[in-house]
Amino acid sequence: MPKKILIVEDEELLYDMLKRKLEIEGYEVSIAENGVEGLEKIKKINPDLILLDIVMPEKGGFEVMEELQQEEDYKNIPIIIISNSGQPVEIDRAKELGAKDWLIKTEFDPQEVIEKVKKQIG
Amino acid sequence: MDKFLKREKEFQELDRISKMLIRRDLVLTELREKREKELEELREKTITLEKSRIALMNILEDVEKARNLAETEKNKTSAIFENFPEGLIFFDKENKISSINSKVQELFHLKEKKIRLIGQNIKDLKNYFSLIPLIEILGEEIKVFYQKILLIKTNLILEVSVIPVFTKERENKGKLIILRNVTREKNIERLKTEFVSIAAHQLRTPLSAIKWTLRMILDEDMGKINGEQRGILEKTYQTNERMIKLINDLLNVARIEEGKFLCKLQKQDIVKVLEEVFILFEQTAQKKGLKFEFQKPEEKLPEIKLDVEKISLAFHNLIDNAVNYTDSGGEVKIAIENLTEQKQILISIADTGIGIPIEKQDRVFNKFFRGENAMREETEGTGLGLFIAKNIIEALHGKIWFESKENNGTTFYCAFPC
Repeated sequence: MPKKILIVEDEELLYDMLKRKLEIEGYEVSIAENGVEGLEKIKKINPDLILLDIVMPEKGGFEVMEELQQEEDYKNIPIIIISNSGQPVEIDRAKELGAKDWLIKTEFDPQEVIEKVKKQIG
Repeated sequence: MDKFLKREKEFQELDRISKMLIRRDLVLTELREKREKELEELREKTITLEKSRIALMNILEDVEKARNLAETEKNKTSAIFENFPEGLIFFDKENKISSINSKVQELFHLKEKKIRLIGQNIKDLKNYFSLIPLIEILGEEIKVFYQKILLIKTNLILEVSVIPVFTKERENKGKLIILRNVTREKNIERLKTEFVSIAAHQLRTPLSAIKWTLRMILDEDMGKINGEQRGILEKTYQTNERMIKLINDLLNVARIEEGKFLCKLQKQDIVKVLEEVFILFEQTAQKKGLKFEFQKPEEKLPEIKLDVEKISLAFHNLIDNAVNYTDSGGEVKIAIENLTEQKQILISIADTGIGIPIEKQDRVFNKFFRGENAMREETEGTGLGLFIAKNIIEALHGKIWFESKENNGTTFYCAFPC
């Protein structure tokens, strides 16, 4: 059974690239384009890992994490943040909410994202 | 005979009388002459007196003129002081208010209290609630400073300067406080900074998308590409990286200006931090044919409080410049030493590069500064690196300065207290 990854990201080109890259690595990838859709899909597919953007329409990444913290079944799914900004305050808050890693989009290549994913779920 | 004798006697008598008359006449003449002389003297004295009187009148008139002039000048000066568009308070040598203008009254909402403030010592002004922030920034001794920003409330930001006042003879007369309302300027500045911040942030998403796409094509995740395609795509990738660098620099500058560039201070081994940045450049320096050296101190340096991420960025910018602006065959030498006597750690980044033209040296740390020779040499710089470096180093209580000679090289120094 391939490991399931959910990408919650609103920029089409970005999630498309990530999806391709992760599929090449053999993961099963689903997409959600905002936080609301993200929460629905988490409950539907129960992914092994979530790649989560912070600034999104409808519901942002922080709100998604806050809601997941209340759900016993889902609160332990590893989350890697993929965000535009990397302010220490934001990173600290994400870690408090259970994020495992934090990637700044402009600083990472898709290959490095793959490495971070592998580190979490193999 | 008798008759003769008698006549003789009469003659004698006449002679005596006439002699007496002559004598008296002489005395009279003498007296008259004396009187005339006295009169003459009196006349002369009168003239002198009259002259003195005129002179005195003239002097009095001059004094009156000078007094009027002084009065006019004084009125003019106090009118200028009173109507000056910036708040002015003049403290005398004893730190007592000697003048205060209406603008101060307006800025601090001091209704009809101006007269009562005159003569009061700065220590006694604490009774005026609205003046407390100002008194705090001035201090009881009223230290001299220039252009400090004082936030009274969100809609009132003042720029405060304290200027010592001396006469021509260098006699200390007191201190003049200048209060400039900079609320509008600060708000515009804030809006501009926010705009840059948002714009830069928004630009990062599409730039990331381009970066990731190009990387995947280059990694041949979407099928094989030929050599020519690879060459063009590599160049495109580099251009995009430059754009990302510029956007990141702009964001850092915006954060510095917003005051959000907070420092996370932790005791650190500065040698290690500097060495890690040094290693990042080794390959580039080698490729460029530079002699690239890091001179570590022999003894262990005391740890100092640093924000590793920020200080690494500052070192990165300084070393990046040294490597970029030094031609093949040149030398970049980074050294760190402990100046125990001055209780300082001194870092120097010396290159044998193009140098900074002397006429441009005072603008080196300005935003968007780039030397003309640097622009000819290298098109990539954003002109923000040194501005960012300076702000970081100063936020960490360090100092930064440089020595440079065009076509000879530049050495940047930073010193941190330890």
